[in-house]
Amino acid sequence: MNRATLSLLMLLLICALSLVTSQQKTRKLFVSLERAQAQERKLNQEWLRLEFEQRSLSKSARIRDVARNQLRMSPITPDRTLYFKEGL
Amino acid sequence: MKPVGFSTSPNIVLRLPMWRSRLMLFLLFVAFVALVIRAFWIQGPGNGFYEAKAVKGVQREIEMRATRGKILDRNGQLIATSLEAKAVIAYTDNIPNDLAPEKITQLAKLLEMSEAEIKKRFADERNQVFLKRQVDPEIAQQVRRLEIPGIGLNNEYRRHYPEGEAMAHVVGFTNVEDRGQEGIELARDKELAAHPGKRRVVVDRLGRIVNDISILQFPQDGQDLQLSIDSKIQYIAYNALKSAVEKHRAKAGGAVVLDVRTGEILALANWPSYNPNSRKALTGEQLRNRVLTDTFEPGSTMKPFPVALALEQGKVQPETNMTIGQKLLVGPKPITDTHPYGMLTVSQVIQKSSNIGTAKLALQLEPREMWDLFTAVGFGQAPNIGFPGTVTGRLHPYQKWGQSDQARMSFGYGISTSLFQLTRAYTIFARDGELVPTTILRSPDYKPGTRIITAKTAIEMRNMLETVTEQGGTALTARAEGFRVGGKTGTSHKVEGKGYASNKYRAFFVGLAPISAPRIVVAVMVDEPSVGGYFGGQVAAPVFSTIVSETLRSLNVSPDINERTVVQAPDAQPLTGTLQKVALKQ
Repeated sequence: MNRATLSLLMLLLICALSLVTSQQKTRKLFVSLERAQAQERKLNQEWLRLEFEQRSLSKSARIRDVARNQLRMSPITPDRTLYFKEGL
Repeated sequence: MKPVGFSTSPNIVLRLPMWRSRLMLFLLFVAFVALVIRAFWIQGPGNGFYEAKAVKGVQREIEMRATRGKILDRNGQLIATSLEAKAVIAYTDNIPNDLAPEKITQLAKLLEMSEAEIKKRFADERNQVFLKRQVDPEIAQQVRRLEIPGIGLNNEYRRHYPEGEAMAHVVGFTNVEDRGQEGIELARDKELAAHPGKRRVVVDRLGRIVNDISILQFPQDGQDLQLSIDSKIQYIAYNALKSAVEKHRAKAGGAVVLDVRTGEILALANWPSYNPNSRKALTGEQLRNRVLTDTFEPGSTMKPFPVALALEQGKVQPETNMTIGQKLLVGPKPITDTHPYGMLTVSQVIQKSSNIGTAKLALQLEPREMWDLFTAVGFGQAPNIGFPGTVTGRLHPYQKWGQSDQARMSFGYGISTSLFQLTRAYTIFARDGELVPTTILRSPDYKPGTRIITAKTAIEMRNMLETVTEQGGTALTARAEGFRVGGKTGTSHKVEGKGYASNKYRAFFVGLAPISAPRIVVAVMVDEPSVGGYFGGQVAAPVFSTIVSETLRSLNVSPDINERTVVQAPDAQPLTGTLQKVALKQ
């Protein structure tokens, strides 16, 4: 009788402790999950920002300006263009 | 006498009645019972209130963010995107009264506001006021580093439009609440809108999230939207239009480029425009999408339609000779031409834009048939392209037409249309007689059209339209290098009050290219040009020319005149060295 009570008590203690550790593990995992999700969000935003930046740098107005003024290029015209057509 | 102890002295013994102590005991008992019942109540059925309090201490509902959809052009280039931003909020109760003045100065500088304005916000009665919204995250970080108590940051989004003013009227813009206000942003707000989610979490003493309980609502990002607009062509059209409006000191202008095969709108430009990224002091003039929302009398650009109908019915042939004369007496005022012509062929009536010739042809037609054609090509009905503010224009029922109305309508007076309706109507000439359904969303497949006139008539009309840009025509300036083009000029007096203003005009050019296999229809309208001429051929046709040559090049359409084609075998190697030089010299 006494022995049974003791062993049950031990069992109870073990269960209680494992509950505590698993809870702790859950929290830790949860925190890292949250962190990863925040990171994902941040990277996503960063990507959107870079995409926007790339777009701002490649917009037609800027390309025209750079080509004309910095690179001294001029638009192509048909009279100095050769057209290649696939033969039969 | 027997001594009496103090405690037993009969003089001071209290003779309390028994019922008093009993009552006391009973009351105490009742009080205990009440406590026990209360305790049971709190533990059991009546615990809701306390439980809620406890939950409030550790549980929070937090928002899960979602982003508004992007708008892309037909090649996947960004037209509108949402980036994270911060709202700077002042919790006025928490702001110390003895806040160092230099902190306010720094804050004012960061937020680009005046110090007085900030102090006014701090003094606001409400305990929570926005200092500034949609602040750049980096600036928000600097604000945070000032460590002013009572200043908080909230997450929000800011919409960015990399194409700026060139695309402003197509895309429109959103307000600070992220809702569409104009253009596509408004028309497609439902699909683009983000739906933030909500979740319940457990927080610790410091407000950090330690556990998830449940997601109450999943966040849903807005859908991305791909337009039919090509940002390169849009830029070409906007730029050409802008320089023409500036050159002729005009009031406004509009231009449309339509893909004939797919019915997609490749460009839709308006001037004056605005920068959708910073919308301070916007006027209605700048906001108006003239191409879709303004109607006007199209003038001579209308002429090809009655002429096509006369050809279709076999009343005339392109080579049929007509007597034109000085004037035509129909209605209250005689119809005249800018130059008097004796005889013209039907083709020349278009080439030289003769009002009398067109009116004479129109008077051979039944009013109902003319009305049928005008209706079939879309005049008098709002174009179905899912855009806010599109207008129907005016086309009176044929039963009400008098002879004079019918004659004048044939050269574009007494009928009104938007530039977009006119552009679409011209697809019947470009598509061998079919009217193409139009769209502003990307759909690059060939679209079957509705047959309006026969292919034979359409091709004859196309050849006539080409003569307009040839020697003797009204628009030599419409020619585009390398491509055969055709179109029709138009110059109409503006309606002012009850009559026509004698010195205010609109100049038009609507045309198609390349003539050998039309790919695009382009329409240009310039409102009230005041310097350097006012005729469609002088003002609008050069814009058409620029747009056509640059657009066709950008679409990789090979030229149909003066091309120097080198036939290349499928397995040929690219030319190098001397061979290349020789080829280029030829």
